[in-house]
Amino acid sequence: MALTHVRSVARPSTLGEAWNEKAARGEAARFFGGGIDVVLFTPPTVHTLIDLAGLDLRGVSQAGGGLEIGALTTMSDALHSPAVEAFANGFLCQVLRRVASPLQRNLGTLGGTIASAHPWSDVIPALLALDAELRIFSGESRSIRLEEFLADRAACCEAIIEAILLPMGAGERIATYQSFTRTAFDISLLNVACSAHVDQGVWRDVRVVVGGRPGLAARQTSVEVRLEGAKPADLDLAAVARDASEQVDVRDDIRASAAYRRTLVDTLLLRCLKVLGGGGNSE
Amino acid sequence: MTERRAFDVIGKNEMKVDGVGLVAGRPKFVDDLKLPGTLAVKILGSPHAHARIVSIDTSRAEALPGVVAVLTHKNTPGTRHTTAGQGYPEPSPYDARMFDTKVRFVGDRVAAVAAETEAIGEEALKQIRVEYEELPAVLSMDEARADGAPIIHDEKDATGIYDASRNIVADVDIDVGDVSKGFEESDVVVETECETQYAQHTPIETHLVLAYLDSDERIVLRTSTQVPFHVRRIVAYTLGIPVHRIRVIKPRVGGGFGTKQEVLLEDIPALVTLRTGRPALLHLTRAEEFTSARTRHPMRVRVKLGAMNDGSLHAIEMEGTSNTGAYGAHGLTVLANTGSKTLPLYNKAPNAHFFGQAVYTNLAVPGAYRGYGATQGYFPLETAMDELAERLGMDPIELRRKNHIRLGETSPIFEKLGEGREGVSQIVKSCELAKCIDLGAERIGWAEKRGKRIRNGSWVHGVGMSIMMQGSGIPEIDMAAATIKMNEDGSFNLLVGATDIGTGSDTILAQMAAEVLGVPLVKIVVTSSDTDMTPFDVGAYASSTTYVSGNAVVKAAKNVRGQIAAVAAELLGCEVGQVELRNEQAVGPSGSVTLERVCRRAMYEAGQFQIAATESFVPHESPPPFLANFAEVAVDETTGQIKVLHYVAAVDCGVAIHPKQAEGQVEGSIVNGLGYALHEEMIISSRGRVRNPSLFDYKIPGALDIPKIDVILVDSYEPTGPMGAKSVGEIGINGPIPTLANAIYDAVGIRLHETPFTAERVLSAMKAH
Amino acid sequence: MTITLTINGIEKKIGIAPGATLLEVLRHEGYVGVKSGCGSGDCGACAVLLNGRAVNSCLTLAVRADGASITTVEGLADGRNLHPMQKAFLDTGAVQCGYCTPGMLMSALDLLSRIPNPSDEEIREAISGNLCRCTGYVKQVEAIRAGAKAMRSERHD
Repeated sequence: MALTHVRSVARPSTLGEAWNEKAARGEAARFFGGGIDVVLFTPPTVHTLIDLAGLDLRGVSQAGGGLEIGALTTMSDALHSPAVEAFANGFLCQVLRRVASPLQRNLGTLGGTIASAHPWSDVIPALLALDAELRIFSGESRSIRLEEFLADRAACCEAIIEAILLPMGAGERIATYQSFTRTAFDISLLNVACSAHVDQGVWRDVRVVVGGRPGLAARQTSVEVRLEGAKPADLDLAAVARDASEQVDVRDDIRASAAYRRTLVDTLLLRCLKVLGGGGNSE
Repeated sequence: MTERRAFDVIGKNEMKVDGVGLVAGRPKFVDDLKLPGTLAVKILGSPHAHARIVSIDTSRAEALPGVVAVLTHKNTPGTRHTTAGQGYPEPSPYDARMFDTKVRFVGDRVAAVAAETEAIGEEALKQIRVEYEELPAVLSMDEARADGAPIIHDEKDATGIYDASRNIVADVDIDVGDVSKGFEESDVVVETECETQYAQHTPIETHLVLAYLDSDERIVLRTSTQVPFHVRRIVAYTLGIPVHRIRVIKPRVGGGFGTKQEVLLEDIPALVTLRTGRPALLHLTRAEEFTSARTRHPMRVRVKLGAMNDGSLHAIEMEGTSNTGAYGAHGLTVLANTGSKTLPLYNKAPNAHFFGQAVYTNLAVPGAYRGYGATQGYFPLETAMDELAERLGMDPIELRRKNHIRLGETSPIFEKLGEGREGVSQIVKSCELAKCIDLGAERIGWAEKRGKRIRNGSWVHGVGMSIMMQGSGIPEIDMAAATIKMNEDGSFNLLVGATDIGTGSDTILAQMAAEVLGVPLVKIVVTSSDTDMTPFDVGAYASSTTYVSGNAVVKAAKNVRGQIAAVAAELLGCEVGQVELRNEQAVGPSGSVTLERVCRRAMYEAGQFQIAATESFVPHESPPPFLANFAEVAVDETTGQIKVLHYVAAVDCGVAIHPKQAEGQVEGSIVNGLGYALHEEMIISSRGRVRNPSLFDYKIPGALDIPKIDVILVDSYEPTGPMGAKSVGEIGINGPIPTLANAIYDAVGIRLHETPFTAERVLSAMKAH
Repeated sequence: MTITLTINGIEKKIGIAPGATLLEVLRHEGYVGVKSGCGSGDCGACAVLLNGRAVNSCLTLAVRADGASITTVEGLADGRNLHPMQKAFLDTGAVQCGYCTPGMLMSALDLLSRIPNPSDEEIREAISGNLCRCTGYVKQVEAIRAGAKAMRSERHD
């Protein structure tokens, strides 16, 4: 249905112009890329939409062994990009393939999916597992870790996301993702993304992220601490997963109970850890 | 009827007569006709599950620029009626009012607005001030029947309710023999109780109606309906206008599955148009489709089986309690069908008892939904049969073989239990169920897989089966008619009330006419479901179209064939009885004439008359189609997730007039049934509100969710059917629940009694085991 | 405001409300083959090709499509000759009520423009956002396979 409260669309051609348009209107204006979240979730107080398509924020490039994905790159374009496929063993493609439907992936952008920060997001836990950074613009460009961006929503939701930055190191991680949905075209009712550097058989810089809790994806730092510096073979992975499931913050919602989500954390995390340890299937 | 022979058009996968327009996106649906000045109609739905409307102030809404009319109980007819699209007199209570002074479920009608645009309409709804007196709400069947429960239908003028003071819409109780004695005499007794959930049909096109006045000031309702004639009658009655001032046209419908066997919306835009003179479009949003259209009847059904050691069933008891929501539409008939379409399958048990009640609650309103009670009944029946087989040490297939109804047999249930009233006695004249079982078992690999619990990582495999029957129309109650008239190029117009809702009935009825008249399909031009132009038909429900409407078409075609033969006989100088129609010719013993020639003679040359006929058909029996289902599932022991790997449905639908369309009906109903079995559930809050009224939260199967599906159309012939056909529209949806339940048991040894079989439920059951 | 859409090869300047969706604009312009099923991007009945990629037109702001090339189901046939994919849907019996069909065709054609010889799994994934309640998807997958084959033959002729 039309957003009848929207009265104008601004079409800036530089980041500065876009920023000024927003600054002039505050809460009454909203940025859009693909526009999906705008169509679905815009409150009636918004009167102006600011189109970011005029800014050159599309495309995937390899910079210094890392990956830079323009915020307005659609999820489909990212999914089909050879550079993205080549990065971290195709981990991002594995995740992107699960997001919504091809129809939505053809329209929705990576920047948009981060900005909307839905609790069910598959992309956010995956990027957190890779310790992704963002280049954002709030008067001037700067980079910020995705984790910080999400933690400081109040300040950061004003910013324009320019690009997702994945440094070369991120590409050398072993990363894996598990999610549980009811039907194939459904949001995750629980997802787990894990990654680590494997350095002479030892796990380093481990990340364990649980999303769809139904809260927003969150790192499970106590689990990470336990795994840090460990040799997979020396660990009782089943016990680690079980303990993690007992500690994770999960809730009831219409899709599943908190208790079931706990069970899924146990099962899905164990599958992830087995893959990281070199022993499991990645599906 | 027609003797069995090789057919020219029947049994061929002809191109659907409406197919080209559909793939080309031509304007064919209700919403594709745009009339200038059309008002947007919006309904204000109740926020409360149960409340009295103390006052309603529409002045602010009426004052909004662009608002043309506001309807409430104060300015609309108060006629109690049923919305159920059934034949008159409808076996459903007259408990609904266009706008009532009371609301009975969240989403119930409070008021309606007609405005220049939808946006203005929505704003106007917000301006309507309603003062409610909230009443205690009844949110379960047990609460509803408890002593002192609030009375949902306390109005004085409702009729047809079994006992309104106890919220009981209907009560059914029939028996054969003496089940108590029967159970005592049995060697083994098994009992199970199952519960099914609120589910919705989710047709991709929601309910919508366009009302307008034609150039003669008659009201035209262009509506997405399964029941055009019932719409006409019930709208006339509700609004107090004569039937002859209303025309109902059903264009293409984007899915029905039973939810459009209802006069759900038509009265409102009709009244708006009558009062304003302007066209009015009422189109439910997807959320309204969930909350305020129709749903499946949630039911609790208990089955008790008593058998002898040799496996012969000796006593069957089925008790059904049906939640019929806030209004009683279809409440009695769905409940009765739960028994009437299940128990005759095991006809040889000399003792049988079916009883139950349909109960009001302050919840979303169930209605007709493919399967119509049989779906809910086969869950406990076919799982109890499996339990019985295990107790007897018999293969489940052998137990079915021993007990199912056969050719030439009858069941006392046919006579005792019909659609809400007594039924009609009948003998089964076609039954290939045994063959269905053989072919299905082989295709799934029953012998290789049953009881093996093959493992694959954390997945355990199992196979299960079930058998079922349905019906073909409602005997002695349904009526269909067909008119055929001839054109001078040897083509024919076929006018049928029969309602094609995507089922392909326009095509298969045309195939039948083409077969009798000896012409290719393209020479039959179909007009359907227009109450001005086409003769009566009850509509698309009860799997009636192929059998009932089809028989009417065949009758009409034979009549026309006779008229053609008479004219041809004159031209050929032979006896009428010597003339046959084939290849667009009337063929005599020593010559032939084209149909074109025949028609020109009749239209222009001598003894001129229009070659045409109208014939009606009332069925005297309801020949059941039969189905044997087999499924292979894998159960993930760590998450409880069920994957259906392979689903086989071997079906006896009589002669398949259009094999691909028949397969399509079974494939579609299987996938719908899989959703109902595994994922679909309307979740209701403690205040009676539907919490997941969207396709985002209520998940139906998509293309990535389907197993390998094999539909086997088993060769069969029904002598009372048109060209040997029965029906196939509903039966497929009954299979998945019991088949999967039985397969899950084979895999992991747990019996599930509650749908949907969500991963969470399955895992809990496994842990408790 | 005014936007420019090239719809089925015809460039049009269209006055729109700024917050209008592409679905509303297309249907208003007479392209009623583009269907409305849910308004939330969950059923796919509204799918059209936007610069060759299938998208939910109910989720697409019309202004997002400004300057773009749109293909709707009405643009598939070549005059009176159906597109091979349309013929495949008819021949396979993959059309029941037909309401989801236009959207399905769009997803199928998007897939085939990238993968001319898709596997059944790729076909199912391509239409995973197009819900159908009538067919159970069985014949639609067959139809897309057959349509793909017909399109490959056409290219070789």
